[in-house]
Amino acid sequence: MFARRFLTSFPIFVIVYLIQESIVSQFRIFGGGFSLFLIFALLWSALGTPELGALTGFGAGLLMDLSQTTSGPMGQWTLIMILAGFVISYLGYGDDNFRENPISLVVIVAVAVPITRLAYLIIGLMFGGDLGSTFQIFISLLASALWTVAVVPLLMPFVTRIHSTLFEEKSRG
Amino acid sequence: MRNGGDNRGRLLLISLIVTSLFLITLDLRGVRVIDGLRSGSQTAISPFQSAGAKVFRPVGNFFSDVTHLGRTRGEIEKLKAENEKLRQNLINRRNADSELSQLKSVLDLAGTAKYKVVSAKVISLGSTSSFTQTISIDAGTDDGVQENMTVITGLGLVGVVKKSYPNSALVQLASDSAFQVGARVAGSQQIGILSGQGTSKGVLQLLDNQTTLKVGDVILARGSQNNRPFVPGVPIGEVTSVDNAAGAVTQTADVKLYVNFSALSVVAVVVGSPKTDPRDALVPKGPVPIPVPTVTVYATPSGSPKP
Repeated sequence: MFARRFLTSFPIFVIVYLIQESIVSQFRIFGGGFSLFLIFALLWSALGTPELGALTGFGAGLLMDLSQTTSGPMGQWTLIMILAGFVISYLGYGDDNFRENPISLVVIVAVAVPITRLAYLIIGLMFGGDLGSTFQIFISLLASALWTVAVVPLLMPFVTRIHSTLFEEKSRG
Repeated sequence: MRNGGDNRGRLLLISLIVTSLFLITLDLRGVRVIDGLRSGSQTAISPFQSAGAKVFRPVGNFFSDVTHLGRTRGEIEKLKAENEKLRQNLINRRNADSELSQLKSVLDLAGTAKYKVVSAKVISLGSTSSFTQTISIDAGTDDGVQENMTVITGLGLVGVVKKSYPNSALVQLASDSAFQVGARVAGSQQIGILSGQGTSKGVLQLLDNQTTLKVGDVILARGSQNNRPFVPGVPIGEVTSVDNAAGAVTQTADVKLYVNFSALSVVAVVVGSPKTDPRDALVPKGPVPIPVPTVTVYATPSGSPKP
């Protein structure tokens, strides 16, 4: 069932990935902007089970690793996103009050985005990557959190609707 | 999973993590499949990126320009200032290179003739109050520069010091119409007087009519008594045309002065002259002819034609 759900949602992730790579990346926004794909993947994970969250993270991470702009080794984003997807879905799993409250989702994704990016940075450091300016990193993480707070409310209606439509129908079928 | 967390879920999580670690290991070990995956995905995405760039880049640029309006203007101003500074540095550098080259050549000339010289920079060109052709230099009596001293460059005679002040001096140029110098023709040693004409040419008048001048003859300063105002042997110019008018008592010739008076930046004042006349030692070397290869063709006579 996981594989089927994963395959069902995969085209949607590819479309969002293409939007990220071909449209969002064209805009130079304050603080390095935001990753629509990362926000989408974490939001999607937050709405599913921990297993599905990990699987979603795996697929999303693979796509992120394939991006030409990724500096780390192939699999680094995959590893981070598996853990991020699992953790974010684990935190809200079984608590319907939490999942149905949009503010909770906004907050958890807004917190998860900079933490995920920070984890990617730390693991990249372990693989011999460059850290760069600490202040710049701080600004970038803060900006990504703020951008996430702005973007998630806009994205959430579509994501929740698609998610529920897709999975409820599949469950019924 | 929170409510019991079945083994299947754990197994899935562990297998996904192991897969990602496997991918990392493969990539760090330089397996080509991974590179191929990345470049393949980029190849697939690039048409979308191109289309996105075509459509959304202008919009992105617009927003970027709006948000960076003040900063962009500041950046432009900063870059303009930097550009101006660099341009100024470049001009100064070129100027310094040119001065260095002139100084080197004048010292070469002075060294060959064993003149004792004081180098000086030209601080002003021409006179604003009269029609005389003069320059001001930044060396004066404090540096040993006195009136009636010869001023030279690497190419030859510039003029003579007319006025000397503690820190500067006024030099009458050889091109000045009131300028006159005793001259001799290198080689033949014929002597005459060269007068400035207000241009880059002077007129040489020989004192006798024993020999004939020819185009290309080099004219040198003859030297004055006690080497003031002119030291001997300084190149002045080259004969460009000779006036051989019938009935003329002496020969006259137009002389193209060696020194370019409009591009003077460093000169040297001869403050001490050698005990011996350098004679023709300072005559500029002519261009070295480039050997032209010749081809010899041997013609073999054919047999007598048959009727």
